[in-house]
Amino acid sequence: MESKAPSLLNAVPPYGHVITSEKWRNSSLIQSLKGGGVNILFENELGVADFHLPNKSCILYVSECDIIAGNSYKRKLVRYRNTSSSFQELVLVEKTRLSEQNFSAVQKFVVLDLGLTLLPVSGQTEASQLISQIVHGEGRENPFRRRSSSRLLDPKVLVLVQRVPGVGGVKALALLQEFSSVHQLCNAAPHELEPIVGQATAQQIHSFFHKATAAGT
Amino acid sequence: QSSSVSAPPVCILVDSRCLSGGSELMTSLRQRHAATLHVCSLDGSYFIVSNRTAVEKHSQSDLAAMQNRKRLAERVNSLQGLFERVCLIVEKDRSKPGEASRPFQRTRCYDSTLTALVSTGVRLLWSDGAEQSAGLLADLARLEQRKGQAISVPLEVKGSHRQQALQLYLGLPSVSYVHALSLSHNFSSIAQLINSSIEAIQKGGSMSRSRAEEIYRFLRYSCDSFMMNSSTAGKSS
Repeated sequence: MESKAPSLLNAVPPYGHVITSEKWRNSSLIQSLKGGGVNILFENELGVADFHLPNKSCILYVSECDIIAGNSYKRKLVRYRNTSSSFQELVLVEKTRLSEQNFSAVQKFVVLDLGLTLLPVSGQTEASQLISQIVHGEGRENPFRRRSSSRLLDPKVLVLVQRVPGVGGVKALALLQEFSSVHQLCNAAPHELEPIVGQATAQQIHSFFHKATAAGT
Repeated sequence: QSSSVSAPPVCILVDSRCLSGGSELMTSLRQRHAATLHVCSLDGSYFIVSNRTAVEKHSQSDLAAMQNRKRLAERVNSLQGLFERVCLIVEKDRSKPGEASRPFQRTRCYDSTLTALVSTGVRLLWSDGAEQSAGLLADLARLEQRKGQAISVPLEVKGSHRQQALQLYLGLPSVSYVHALSLSHNFSSIAQLINSSIEAIQKGGSMSRSRAEEIYRFLRYSCDSFMMNSSTAGKSS
């Protein structure tokens, strides 16, 4: 039963659609998804996952009943994790007054043991809101997407050199005009530093770089 | 089950800003979870639980408010530059004494923030209060310990010269407090680090290869072009 139609395990629904299995057809979750303008495709060879979403994520839904009934949902979670799909695997967990006391243990299992992503919902209505948010939010710019930081290193080098005791902005600039990198500056002899910053500071800089830091090792 | 007798206590670095209003969490970490804590000044209010993992804590209503989004995105971005793994503990809002706890109103902004965080690889953890948050921090630190990523150097740096060296290391690009701490303890002098190979930096800093490469390149970066045409640069910062 598990080797049926493996290609469908990685089926990505078109934009604005969700693929789910027949057992969800009459659920309130599907009804409110439809109400929210999400198109539903039914497919019975979906594997363990309950929903496939267009942003290449899939969802396993763990209900209040699953949690209270005991351990079989854990086996399902393990199978879900072990399915070698290219989807991002999400787990929606119903956190209700009844399942609340077990939530901690469920979270430990899902997040810390299995390394999956858990999102708590109070029930199918909240789940459908979250799912339609994922479906409709696809394609919008993600503010959390990491932008590559400024590649300009010069100011960073200048700031770093000013962390050497006795060296302020003016001296740092003068030093870097002569020794253009931290590496060169560190390996300059005191007599080479002296014409730029004077004897005392030259000595101070040299000993700052070369004095022992590690404790007794 | 998770707390085996032989495992050494977990070490956690805490930003000083976490102290205000966080005494319950700190006490619980120390007493119930026997964690070794060190309070230091990080670049934001967060926790470091291993060589590669930072944990920030936010209230549920924080994530639900649109006006917090930009700031949150900046925080997450900067943490992702410093750490391989970033976790967010989402803590239920505390109800004031005497006030009936209001059910949390889930907004569209909240859902889209969660979705965005998940798709950027931030790991989310859920907590009902300080006690549970402490448990999650300890669990994370223990998990990292089992994976060989625990903070293994002393959490303190003693002596003014060593403090100054630590401050210098913190000025290196993409170097977090825990990397700087490792560098301070593992290199006999600043010059030794500066003259080290990429492999030695990676090992001494308990960091990834790419981070070590970035440091190696930075130390040898030659900055003449900028210096020549900005005589005012020295006055800023």
